[in-house]
Amino acid sequence: MNKMWTALRREYLSRVKTKGFIIGTILFPVFLAVMFVVPTLMMLIKSDKPKQIAVIDQTGEILDSLRVSLSDKNEAGDLLYNLIPHDAEDLEAAKNTLSVSVEAGGLDGYIIIPATIYEEGVAEYYGKSVTNFQENRSFQNAITRAVTEKRIQRSGLESEKVRQMVRGVDLQTFRVGPGGKEEKDEGMTFGIAYFLGFFIYMAMFIYGALVQRSVIEEKTSRVIESVISSIKPFQLMAAKILGVGAVGLTQFMIWAIAIGLLSLYGVQAASIFAPKAGAAQGFHMPTVSLGVLTFFVLFFVLGYFLYATIYAGVGAMVNSEQEAQQLMLPISMFIIAPILLIMYVIGNPSSQASVILSLVPFFAPILMLARIVVETPPVWQIALCLVLMVGTIVGLIWVVGRIYRVGVLMYGKRPTLPEILKWIRYA
Amino acid sequence: METLRVENVNKSFGALEAVKDLSLAVPPGTVYGFLGPNGAGKTTTIRMIMEIILPDSGQIVINGQRNTSADALDRVGYLPEERGVYRKMKVREALEFFAELKGMKRRVHGPKIDAWMERFEMTAVRDKKLEELSKGNQQKIQFLTTVIHEPDLIILDEPFMGLDPLNADLVKEVILEQKARGAAIVFSTHLMESAEKLCDAICLINKGKKVLDGEVRSVKRNFGRNHVALEYDGKPDFLVELKNNGLVESYNDSGNHVEIHLRNAASPQKLLAAAMQHVAVLRFEVVEPSLHEIFIATVKEN
Repeated sequence: MNKMWTALRREYLSRVKTKGFIIGTILFPVFLAVMFVVPTLMMLIKSDKPKQIAVIDQTGEILDSLRVSLSDKNEAGDLLYNLIPHDAEDLEAAKNTLSVSVEAGGLDGYIIIPATIYEEGVAEYYGKSVTNFQENRSFQNAITRAVTEKRIQRSGLESEKVRQMVRGVDLQTFRVGPGGKEEKDEGMTFGIAYFLGFFIYMAMFIYGALVQRSVIEEKTSRVIESVISSIKPFQLMAAKILGVGAVGLTQFMIWAIAIGLLSLYGVQAASIFAPKAGAAQGFHMPTVSLGVLTFFVLFFVLGYFLYATIYAGVGAMVNSEQEAQQLMLPISMFIIAPILLIMYVIGNPSSQASVILSLVPFFAPILMLARIVVETPPVWQIALCLVLMVGTIVGLIWVVGRIYRVGVLMYGKRPTLPEILKWIRYA
Repeated sequence: METLRVENVNKSFGALEAVKDLSLAVPPGTVYGFLGPNGAGKTTTIRMIMEIILPDSGQIVINGQRNTSADALDRVGYLPEERGVYRKMKVREALEFFAELKGMKRRVHGPKIDAWMERFEMTAVRDKKLEELSKGNQQKIQFLTTVIHEPDLIILDEPFMGLDPLNADLVKEVILEQKARGAAIVFSTHLMESAEKLCDAICLINKGKKVLDGEVRSVKRNFGRNHVALEYDGKPDFLVELKNNGLVESYNDSGNHVEIHLRNAASPQKLLAAAMQHVAVLRFEVVEPSLHEIFIATVKEN
């Protein structure tokens, strides 16, 4: 036990003290902060000047309504669009002039509202770029509203009454949580499920690879034989997995604290750069319940043990990291698959396919967790999932322990599958 | 009680019988040469002693304890043939790590490590990473990790490989000190000259089987006193002739110095007379056979 502690400590310290670890650990929260602050700043920069949009209004009456319906403002309260009426007598000539002006940058775009718009319902927008779908949609909505308004007036109805009659309905969603408690959900649940799944996905890759590199390093540097003459190979493998796990946990804690601070003070920090932005935006970090957090840690740890063991086994079989990469490709699929499936599972958390997929131990860390976040699966399913995972991990440790024992002393040709089976049998 | 006893050990890898019914015993305070050609099963045997691989049958006893029992191997120091260092570790950290893996407590090993580093002239590089050290210095560190915990049994697989004469002498000095302290040293090598000088007893194995063992003196005596060392000036052609006319069984010519194994009952005087006819004899001595000679003769015979 003492020896395992010695090996574990070496594993931990030798990784935590590297520059790579320190830089990576600091850079991730910085990256997050930048991701958070930059869009806020961008929004402010964008709002400096309203977009200049020319309008050729062949009906002669839409433009005034359009001014009302297209009055989007930015956070600072300035108009986003400045609508400039343009003479519509010779359409082709007007289009030419305006296009030149758009090309030169004097205008951002122009809208043509033909005289036939009430009947045909077609307007045109010309702009330097027309890929901002949000903008296109707000033009479309604004013109629609203006045209509808005029149509109603022309038919002699009272527009205020009609508007009230056709007013849309807002569907609010509530999630029924454990104990039948309802909570308002604004799409946050989806975000949390996806984010937590993605975090586990990243962690499996990063820390799994770290375990593997550690195994390969001892092999290629030929230090392994000295080490396993003093500590049992199995103990060494366990120390490695636990040591790198502790590294992961350290990093994770630092990040958790950073994210916590960011959510507490992030808005204030952002408002230093953009005084008008923070408060107006009303941003708040999603909150995660304690139950979900517990399951997250549980699946994180189990998932880590599962994949770290596999990574260690592969490391013991190969002679170099390049060789390991080839061998890891099919195994990586097991980590990637649940990330591809998570959309479906979040959308249909209690379908039969979701239930079965989330019980597969290799997928469970991501998919069962996602199900737990978006709904509350029956207790027996969670229990079965955990039993299956623990069973798989124990089995894997047994198999990989044997592969490891033989593999770390094997140099040269990569072993074939029958050879590996022989190792497992005779080790 | 012997420090190390290997009892009727067998090990096969598939169809290959790597070690066949091998037994040996090493008493304390002995340097024991474990000799044999490449692929004879030396490394396999050593790995079985260190419980890195398990024998198919037979047992290994260290200080009266099976090597499978807990902590039995803490009293053993091992320098493998396939060796390396943790490249990113600092010199002192690496020594501490291996001392602790052998069960030494932190406050015990500190002063010992300092003393060893001083003696091996490593104090200046104590905080350097191992990868920054020369190959020779890395070797010295590896050697240190095998003796730092003052083990009862020290197993050295080719300890002089890659060392310059100065460091080789330093290592030899430490080996003899450890022997004087009462440790048993098993030492495997191809270099018969260093084995000759250091070993009290040897075991020669070939194709997994023991072919010869015992104290070096008695091994030599049993091999016969019909060996002659001859230094000469002239052409070596006469040796072929001497072998053809039945005087010489075999010889090992290093150019101007030849070790000759006489045919049974052939007299050294006759050889001297014959040699003087062809070359100028600078030295002529009836000697004990060298381990080199014994090694080659025994392995060929097998």
